[in-house]
Amino acid sequence: MKNLWEEYLVKIKSHLKTTATSVAVILASQAALAAGVCTDDVRILAQPQAGLTTTEGFASEFEELAGVGFQIDYLNENDRRAKSRADASVIGKYNVYYVDEANLAQFASTGWIAPLLDHYPAEYDFEDFDSGRQTTATFDGKVWFAPITGGGDLMVYRTDVFEAAGVEPPKTLEELFEVVEKIHDPENGIYGYALRGQRGSGANVWRWMPYFRGFGGEWFNEDGTPAFNSEAAVKATETYLKLFEYSPPGTRTGSWDESTGAFNSGQVALIVESAPLGGMSLNPDNSNVSDKVAFGTPPAPLTGGGYAHGFAIGSKANETDAERDCAALWIAWATSKENELRRLEAGQSGELNRVSVFNSPEFAEAFGEELPAALEATAPFTRVNFWQNEKWPDLGNRWGIILEELITGQRTDINEALAELEAYAIELNSD
Amino acid sequence: MITRFLGKSLLVFCAACVLVPLLWTLMNAFKVNADLLTPVPQFFFDPTFENITYVLSRQSVFGALYNSLIICLSAVGLGLVLGLPAAYAIARNPNRITQEIQFFVLSLRFLPPVAVAIPFMVIWLNLGMYDTRWSMIITYSLITISITIWLSIPGFQQVPKEIEEAARVDGYGPYAVFAKVALPVAMKSLLGALAFSFVLVWNEFMLALMLTTSDAKTLPIVASEMSQQGLNVPWGILNAAVVLLSIPPLLLLGLLSSFLNRSFAQKNR
Amino acid sequence: MNRRSSLPYTFLIPTVALLAILALTPTIYALNVSFTDRTLFSSSSNYIGFENYIDLLSDRRFVNSAYVSLKWEIMTVTTTMIMAVGLGVLMFECASPKMRNLYCLIFLIPVLLPRVCAAFVWKFAFHPLYGIVTYPYRAITGQPLDLLADPTTALMVVGFVDVWQWGFFFAVIIVKLLESLPPQPIEAARLDNAKPWQIHFYVTIPMLKAPLISLALVKAIESLRSFDLIYVMTRGGPGIATETLDMYAFSQGFIEAGKIGYASSIAVIMLLTTIITFTIIWKRVNK
Repeated sequence: MKNLWEEYLVKIKSHLKTTATSVAVILASQAALAAGVCTDDVRILAQPQAGLTTTEGFASEFEELAGVGFQIDYLNENDRRAKSRADASVIGKYNVYYVDEANLAQFASTGWIAPLLDHYPAEYDFEDFDSGRQTTATFDGKVWFAPITGGGDLMVYRTDVFEAAGVEPPKTLEELFEVVEKIHDPENGIYGYALRGQRGSGANVWRWMPYFRGFGGEWFNEDGTPAFNSEAAVKATETYLKLFEYSPPGTRTGSWDESTGAFNSGQVALIVESAPLGGMSLNPDNSNVSDKVAFGTPPAPLTGGGYAHGFAIGSKANETDAERDCAALWIAWATSKENELRRLEAGQSGELNRVSVFNSPEFAEAFGEELPAALEATAPFTRVNFWQNEKWPDLGNRWGIILEELITGQRTDINEALAELEAYAIELNSD
Repeated sequence: MITRFLGKSLLVFCAACVLVPLLWTLMNAFKVNADLLTPVPQFFFDPTFENITYVLSRQSVFGALYNSLIICLSAVGLGLVLGLPAAYAIARNPNRITQEIQFFVLSLRFLPPVAVAIPFMVIWLNLGMYDTRWSMIITYSLITISITIWLSIPGFQQVPKEIEEAARVDGYGPYAVFAKVALPVAMKSLLGALAFSFVLVWNEFMLALMLTTSDAKTLPIVASEMSQQGLNVPWGILNAAVVLLSIPPLLLLGLLSSFLNRSFAQKNR
Repeated sequence: MNRRSSLPYTFLIPTVALLAILALTPTIYALNVSFTDRTLFSSSSNYIGFENYIDLLSDRRFVNSAYVSLKWEIMTVTTTMIMAVGLGVLMFECASPKMRNLYCLIFLIPVLLPRVCAAFVWKFAFHPLYGIVTYPYRAITGQPLDLLADPTTALMVVGFVDVWQWGFFFAVIIVKLLESLPPQPIEAARLDNAKPWQIHFYVTIPMLKAPLISLALVKAIESLRSFDLIYVMTRGGPGIATETLDMYAFSQGFIEAGKIGYASSIAVIMLLTTIITFTIIWKRVNK
């Protein structure tokens, strides 16, 4: 695996050198188009992604293209959501916001962001993005953001641990419990499973939702009355708490970083997480287990949490069309095919979104056949798990706090917890 | 004898409690992640300057350092210009009114920062001054002026009245007595008071968190943002940022220590 | 001094006026907003009377955060004072004047560190997998130790950092106070063969009663500023175990719902409580 990887890196480096001239030609023509579009540095509020750091390294290319520089401020997911909401609604310092599936409805319906395609330069080929991400980026018939990452859920497991214990990858939740019970061995530093415990609609609630929806749970009835205080939610919560007994310490108040970090450092035998983990776990730069992982679909009846994150044009900071064009130019450049290829070269598979990149020989060479096949197999299980509404962040975050209390043992009564959330939902909907 | 030995060891232990975590942080600033994220603490490693260079080359850190310096020094300057004369007036005119003023100044410290921050945010937004250095300087001057007044009153009280009398006999007016006699004589205590107010605003966090987003962001905010990124945190870089943030207050250590010595030594004479 | 001089007026009036404006405007503003349903996202709002205050009474997170704040105050003030007196006496008894000065210099460092830095230094030291404080536990049991994720210990860990900053600082002040005491009573007690701890317990500490009470009061006021530590170390978590009043007000106003009106009503309650309590205590102590 490792040899293959190095071989691939050498290849793509030479490949990029030969294409560099042609890229330069394209860029030069774009520069001619874009000259004068930007007058001030572009400000971006984002959350940390390895692929973005790579893109930052090519800042001078954007400077040549647009005549201005850019600055990215990074915040973790919860803070990025809170701060972008405050900034978009009243302050307006950022030209470009990092939005996601969960707060898109809120940002788009309030007019905090502007429709992307009105300003997106055609030559960057928006249609090239994966159709699932395009759908997620669409709200109310318009496209609002260009994706930086996205996907569904993937099951990743350790072949060495599974072999030693003589177990097969689980197909159902019952099998999952059996398998996890067998391989859980904290004395020797192997935890059976990993989950997210940290509060947040995109953190613990995100991982809890596949259970809730998988058991048939619904958020709201057609008439807008809450429907989630149900058997499905109780069962989902019980299952989630039960599985937490197998999750490594640090994940009880941790999120994606902590649980995938635990997996990549070799402490976890089995995990169901967002799809970018697949490529990350194969990359020896950030994974100690790159040569002993395999992939599968989430055990039935779990649904996969379909998601996409991307960049949108802020309305408040960009009042004129020219300013919006400039913001869109940065978005187009940062999510361009060239930048995706650079991420691919750096082994950052999580931040790839373009069909032409997925189908490229470089991609196949880098990730073999197993991962792309597994990713394709997860597509039928991928759903929209959350409540698609502008009030979702409020509701999800409230549940996140209550769920964190349950996970850390500050409260134990699940029914009472759900009743509290229901009361909050009724109050929220009455506003 | 044994108790004395135990006491001494306990003192050494306490000093270690202060110094070891700090030295550890300093060491970590020169480590790569592989040396940092180890189950067994690593005391020997190949030092790297990457973290420090990264922090210093990062635009956001540099901007925040600049903001912090401008905002804090200006606020301390305002504290000096407005606070020192007021402290002198209170010290030289002990009566009911100045006593009430003194208590009012102290009571500003009772204000919970959150109670000040929310309205200030709305006010600065309405005035179109949100997230500017000016708004931060004005907000912080509330802290620096009150602390400067409170801490410089004893300094002025310790200026012997005889010296002022002698100056007056020489024909100095009251303002000249303040500027040419009281200020220079009390100088050392006053410097300590100003240093304290500088440290207080340099370290201030909550107001800066709520009143800035990018243009006027101060160093503590940038450092805290780095620490909130999860496990993929560049821990070495964060350690380096912490070291950078801690240097200015520690540079004032000597000044503040002699300020404490002076105020306690003379108070109880 | 020339009683007719204009100096007190020119020196006091502008400064006091500026401070009054800077302090009263936001306070009155907060009071005003607390009677509205203003949110962060729209500038229009309605007056809703005492509704925010009534809602607070039935808000379990508010009740919890008031309780956490009270626990925080009591915990940090008492442990800081006990540690400061103990360490101050220890320095006075066991260290030569030269060493004493060195210790004073060292013990002054923690309080000068930005709270954010102190919080970070200890957050990493308490890291369940890589922390230097949790290392002995890991080495002996082979298990990680996650004190900040445990609701029963999280507040204590944050409180520990607060005491680390203030306890050492107050110890320095106490040793200076001890040095400034007249030596005769201590000598007299020594001649009576009193043990060092007896001397301090029965003679010196009672002599320092007044300044010690002032110090405790200063600590109580400074303990109100717990936000920085909690924000960096736990964010009020796990669950709501370390959610103090200011953290909760911040969450309501900024992180979760953007309810500025509601957050202001929490702030106003804090404001009234602290001003009334501390004014009464301060005036009584300094009579």
